[in-house]
Amino acid sequence: MSFGWLWPTALLVILTFLVIYPVSMLLLGALTNTNPVVDGFGVFDLSLTNFITVLGNPNVHLALANSMIACGGGTALAVVIGLMFSWVVVRTDTPCKRFIAAASMIPLFVPPLVAAVAWSILASPKTGLLNTLMAWAGITWRLDVYTMTGLIVIFGIYYAPYVYMFTASALRNMDPALEEAAEVAGAGALRILLTVTFPLIAPAIISGMLLSFVVMLGIYGIPAVLGAPGDIPVLTTYIFKLTNWSPPLYSTAASVAIILMVVTGFLVWLQQKVVSGRSYITVAGKAFRPGVMKLGAWRYFTLGLAVVYLVVVVVLPTLALIVAAFRKFLFIRNMESLFDTRQYSLIHFERLFDNPLAMRSIVNTMEVGFITALIGGVFAFAIGYTVNRTTVRGRGAINVISTIPVAIPGLVIGVAYLWAWIGLPGGLYGTIWILALAFIARFMPDTIKALSTSLLQIHRELEEASWICGKGLLGTIRTIVLPLARPGVIAAMTLLFILAIRELGSSLFLYTSNTMVMAVLLLDYYEGGNVGITSAFSLVQTVLLAVLIGIAHYLSRGGADTSGVGRAG
Amino acid sequence: MSDFRINRRQFTAGAAAGLAATTIGSQRAAAQAYGSNELIEAAKKEGKFVYYTADFTEPEQEVIKAFNKRFPFVKVEMVRAPGGQLITRIKTEAAAGKLLADAVNHSDRGLMQGIADLFQDYAPPNAKDYRDDVLVSPKLWPRATLGWAIAYNTELEKNPPKTWMDLCKPEYGPKKIGHVIGPSGGTTWTRIMFERQTFGEDYWKKQAATQPILYPSGAPASDSLVRGECSIAVLLYNICYIKKRDGAPVDIVFPSDGVPLNFYAAGVTKTAANPNAAKLFLNWCMSEEGQAMQIKELGYLTALKNPPLNPPGYDPKVIKTWAPNFDQYVKLRDSWIDEWNKTYGYRQ
Repeated sequence: MSFGWLWPTALLVILTFLVIYPVSMLLLGALTNTNPVVDGFGVFDLSLTNFITVLGNPNVHLALANSMIACGGGTALAVVIGLMFSWVVVRTDTPCKRFIAAASMIPLFVPPLVAAVAWSILASPKTGLLNTLMAWAGITWRLDVYTMTGLIVIFGIYYAPYVYMFTASALRNMDPALEEAAEVAGAGALRILLTVTFPLIAPAIISGMLLSFVVMLGIYGIPAVLGAPGDIPVLTTYIFKLTNWSPPLYSTAASVAIILMVVTGFLVWLQQKVVSGRSYITVAGKAFRPGVMKLGAWRYFTLGLAVVYLVVVVVLPTLALIVAAFRKFLFIRNMESLFDTRQYSLIHFERLFDNPLAMRSIVNTMEVGFITALIGGVFAFAIGYTVNRTTVRGRGAINVISTIPVAIPGLVIGVAYLWAWIGLPGGLYGTIWILALAFIARFMPDTIKALSTSLLQIHRELEEASWICGKGLLGTIRTIVLPLARPGVIAAMTLLFILAIRELGSSLFLYTSNTMVMAVLLLDYYEGGNVGITSAFSLVQTVLLAVLIGIAHYLSRGGADTSGVGRAG
Repeated sequence: MSDFRINRRQFTAGAAAGLAATTIGSQRAAAQAYGSNELIEAAKKEGKFVYYTADFTEPEQEVIKAFNKRFPFVKVEMVRAPGGQLITRIKTEAAAGKLLADAVNHSDRGLMQGIADLFQDYAPPNAKDYRDDVLVSPKLWPRATLGWAIAYNTELEKNPPKTWMDLCKPEYGPKKIGHVIGPSGGTTWTRIMFERQTFGEDYWKKQAATQPILYPSGAPASDSLVRGECSIAVLLYNICYIKKRDGAPVDIVFPSDGVPLNFYAAGVTKTAANPNAAKLFLNWCMSEEGQAMQIKELGYLTALKNPPLNPPGYDPKVIKTWAPNFDQYVKLRDSWIDEWNKTYGYRQ
């Protein structure tokens, strides 16, 4: 099957514009001390000085080591939580599974800065609400979220949904024949889980693990809020410092970003090496429904775990935000003061909506989110299908190029997009399209990965059957591939929508007065030192996202409900 | 400790009375204070302008609101970013021929001096009333002036430090004082430069011995102070002033042994699409009414030779203000900040 040269060339041209051109700007920045737009392209004083300086700087070593420990620990915890809940939801008879499924995804739409602010309100060692509560109860032990353990736990609980997303869909689409064989051979439930089920969905676990790790590596909000008081610098906070230096040290920041790229590039390569050469096809031309394990009384234990998780990631932080948003000031001496109603008012909400930028940022964010999800989703499907389901020449290059953005922290790629695209004719700069393009490019790897898991699981025999029946390529995609991959496609577009709405780093340089987005305004309020108005805006953002995701979930129900059965062509 | 306490209503009433007093005069006189009738008409025709600022969103919104009370026909479209990011944006936009800003207001005069050629000739009507020594270019003006002070949580600290030397006393440690890191930006650099030039080379060492909590910027430091994470914080007066004004359990002292000042630089760009609206805004901000509003409502100071009023607790006869020598401000920066980082154990 060949598309000819036109299709891969078209994809490569778009990818060059979206990825290669901005990344070249970043490399140019790292290898020189110039702003390519300001100093022009004629001034090529290439040198490795920035790299040598950065690599020899012990503070960079420390930030790198801290990043690895925080994100490594966070990933390990995310895998445990994500995998456990996906198994509980898909393969057990735990009650209230829909509730658990929803709970498992909620942390995904909490912006990192919001999560961190909420947890600093809850568990700062001196004035955290939980510590105040423990003092009131006579407990002397104190929580301290401003530590490496605090960072790991917050990373782990908030990034578990990445693992859940991949593994739940893989478990749902899995042929249970091998599990049944193991059961017939006398293997116990735990043994089947560890030796058959989990190894079978290994690509999904590895993909989820890798994605959550690299996403954590690029997060600024959590280490900025929780790492700073405990003096735990990580690479992103270090990069942010460089961009705010006077004068800003973008070239040094770009060099640090290249180090991050090398680390994540190596991990992506490792993942592909592990996944390739093994077949993970679990959806073939045979009907099946994965078995459900009867847990007996233990099913209340698994339900209990889900409730605890929900309390920790949603209920407590939301309560903290509510207290902060409605309380005039967050000085809470004791429990009596917490319940003193005179301390509460709507002043932060009044001030928030008194600012015309607040409403404008909400409208802009929604617009950018929808454009990004729609165009980005279609483009990612085109790439995912080309890479995974065709043999056209150049698909290897397409795969590699489309993976590059995963490795670049948003704070740095933001300025690279500005350098790359501001000079383009046609007035792209200053519109929301430049933001949408940046988000599409930046989150392409995440979207393609989310889609590819679904695509990888569809056996080629289904498409071959369609071709034999006389359907063309587009007809086959429309009638066979898209319906089977529908849960994956909708999940990928929803993911893209959420990521676009939360994205801060690459927005910072691309927004203008007319295209202000929520994430930037939220940071403005946080940087202004007003935790009340920051919390009020966080609550507004969380509620909006929850409503939108509820709608997306409702719309995708038809697909998700039938996804348990692999359908023959 | 000062017993000075005001609530928001009293404050607003006071501010309104003050503003009324400063704006008494004929329409003609008012027009002269903010610009010619031609300028006002031209600004009306433009109807808006784009304003880039490194100051915080909330106080800027209040300034814009007050400006719009007098000139409701000019819409201010604001872009707010931290200093370093704002300069990168301005330079890149200008180089690409797409500088969207009509007016810029920046906290770091050093950075603004480097891009002075992007600005057109501009001076407010009352230019002669301003201190000459704080101008880095005749095109850039000190729209905002900020002063460093010592703030404390009134619920936690009953015997607050009142001078810079008090901050070195062991009784205020460990982990009681919150400090913004030296390399945070131009304003913090001004503060640490003042500390070393005024109190000697070993001042940082003595202060660091109290084991202060270090914050990346003034915002988290002021938030921590209100929450009680630290009981004392060395902060720009205006950051805590708004919180105090709104009733937070904080109070602020201007140290009697010196108040380092940081002057912003504001100007109108050469490529401004709405230069008249931008000039009218800056004229208003620089006018006595504009400066009085910023002092009363926001806790700013002023670079006017004769301040229309002073913030509570600020007696210019007693308090010695300090402004950095601009050459030294540029030349000493890197090496002194390196030294500060080492002294305070801050890893840059």
